[in-house]
Amino acid sequence: MSSSESMTTYTYEGIPQYMPQGAGGLRPSMFQKLNILADAAKYDVACTSSGTARSNDGTGMGSCERSGICHSYSADGRCISLLKILFTNECIYDCKYCINRRSNDVIRTSFTPDEVCTLTIEFYRRNYIEGLFLSSGILRSPDYTMELIYAAIYKLRKEYNFQGYIHVKAIPGASKELIQKVGFLADRMSVNLELPTAESLKLLAPHKTRKNILTPMRLVQNRMAENKQELALYRNAPGFVPAGQSTQMIIGATPETDFQIMQVAQSLYQRFELKRVFYSAFIHVNEDSLLPARTDEGPPLLREHRLYQADWLLRYYHFRAEELLSEENPNFNVLFDPKCNWALKHLGQFPVEINRADYKMLLRVPGLGYKSAVRIVKARRVGTLDFSDLKKIGVVLKRAMYFITCNGKMLYPTKLEEDYIARNLLSAGEKLPGEVVNMGYHQLSLFDDVGFSGKMQQYM
Amino acid sequence: MKTVYVCSNTVTGIYSAIYDAWKARKGEEECSVALRGAVETELFCEYVEVEETVHKAQAVEALICRHLGREAYWDIYHAVLAADTGKGDAILGAMLAAKTIPDSRRIMEHLSHPKVEKVFELSRSVIGEAHFLKGAVRFRELAGGVLYARISPKAQVLTCLAPHFADRLPLENWMIYDRVHRMFVIHEAKKRWILVQDEFLDPERLPDLTEEEKEYTKLWKGFVHAVSVESRENLKLQRQHLPLRFRPDMVEYM
Ligand code: SF4
Repeated sequence: MSSSESMTTYTYEGIPQYMPQGAGGLRPSMFQKLNILADAAKYDVACTSSGTARSNDGTGMGSCERSGICHSYSADGRCISLLKILFTNECIYDCKYCINRRSNDVIRTSFTPDEVCTLTIEFYRRNYIEGLFLSSGILRSPDYTMELIYAAIYKLRKEYNFQGYIHVKAIPGASKELIQKVGFLADRMSVNLELPTAESLKLLAPHKTRKNILTPMRLVQNRMAENKQELALYRNAPGFVPAGQSTQMIIGATPETDFQIMQVAQSLYQRFELKRVFYSAFIHVNEDSLLPARTDEGPPLLREHRLYQADWLLRYYHFRAEELLSEENPNFNVLFDPKCNWALKHLGQFPVEINRADYKMLLRVPGLGYKSAVRIVKARRVGTLDFSDLKKIGVVLKRAMYFITCNGKMLYPTKLEEDYIARNLLSAGEKLPGEVVNMGYHQLSLFDDVGFSGKMQQYM
Repeated sequence: MKTVYVCSNTVTGIYSAIYDAWKARKGEEECSVALRGAVETELFCEYVEVEETVHKAQAVEALICRHLGREAYWDIYHAVLAADTGKGDAILGAMLAAKTIPDSRRIMEHLSHPKVEKVFELSRSVIGEAHFLKGAVRFRELAGGVLYARISPKAQVLTCLAPHFADRLPLENWMIYDRVHRMFVIHEAKKRWILVQDEFLDPERLPDLTEEEKEYTKLWKGFVHAVSVESRENLKLQRQHLPLRFRPDMVEYM
């Protein structure tokens, strides 16, 4: 795949370098640009650098760690791993929830491919970052934008010989060829689903369609599968999106239930083989009659938190969305994490005997993570485990004790009753998210709209 | 009578002590390892100063690999770097315990043995700190183009960090200074890294930062500020992930 032609025919004309408002038409400094284009990218929640391991070949800069590396944490407590920027915040679309939509009066600017490269390289050699996360508003057309992104990462890989992590957004509507070319340079690609259902998308992102989003997702999936075979045949074949693809959806801008959201996530994992689905609590940045009314509550962080916990259960704990939620009970519990909530509703399957239960059942015990479960399975091969062993292994007995026995005995005599256990877990200082601890009863009723309040009364 | 082998807080020191104890064929209750400066004197103990040699250390490494396997070696390799005065004793204890079980290669599964458990915990904490620092190290460009970073870790993690950065930045001249343990790791472009005591290098007398460096510090600080979402601000969460003790060495918090 020689791309030198496309590089030479490519011109930078038409990339806006001005700041129409506020700066009197002056070219912005690098500092201003970075501020604007990082600020505009911050609503994209994915910042992981995991999923691929690569050593440097000795001729360039950069490597990748399979587990990913966090380099810093911003004031919102999120990990900073990648230089997360937009190529441009110009956009011809008008998504209602987005700060960069064309109807907004904000300062617009763009990087050049060289600026993106220099920033990445200079940040990387100082060990500020694991790599680059390049997204973009849509300048002129999806293809034009994708071409610019391609130009930037082509330079970064081929001219600057950068071997660190690159995450690229595939622009919905961009041509198949462009997306493929980018995929051979990127470690991860993502197309944002934006909203859980096609109706919501139509309402809030009138220029996007579900089809336009799912098409590149499918393309990347298929190409990755083909690439696996190529790599099996020729070890030195170029890799295609080795860290897999991810997506994100906005939570709370539209009326979907947690159950609907989890079912969407589940089918993305199964049918599109995504590596990760990210959930982004809706943040009010625009006034628009189509958006939910603004409240003082801030973004629905607890709901987002519960969805991530449930997502974890889908990916690592062999749960299915239908086990966690149902049409009758379509939203997660404000007080208990999804696994604990499940256990309370399925007490018939407990207590679990630690020395005998199979691995999958161990995974379902509250207070017992998958690492502890692995350690238990290993440790009980060489001896019988009791409660003090479990503590050493890292089991949170405060939570697990209601659900387990060691050699047929419980830690303390307890009743196997939903109300009893729920009350005890709560009074034992069940790790409640800050949002709940700081809330009085009155505020809790605000969760009415996602169905949290019924549960509240039951356990209080 | 119990024999306590006293050694320096170095890999060579601790492995040499283990070597001597192993050679003497002592049982678990009859020997222990203590670090010089942290010896708690007990009655009815004999204290022996260990002669520390690279040969002994290598012999113990080989012994661990052969009898305990790769995985246990990996745990012990990290435990020996921990900031814990009982680490030598825990490693020796775990090695002696391995003799008493049918398959010595499964020693790290015997978490109910207190010494094994301790080695396991120490290794987790060192691996954790080293992994964290792989992200938190901040290089600054000094006049002449050398990248310089300073860290203040609890454990002696330089040897865990060096291979990582040597792989990642093979064409750069860089060095990392551990000011707690007063050691440098130095990497010259395209060469192997080396570990140096700070007697040979004075961290106070370094060249100035380049002008570019100041520019990139400013850009980075601006970036860290810009990517934070105001309505999600959560300084407690930030502190949980990024403990204050690391921040004095990170430019974005300077
Ligand atoms: S396409 Fe929509 S979400 Fe993306 S930058 Fe434009 S307005 Fe924002």
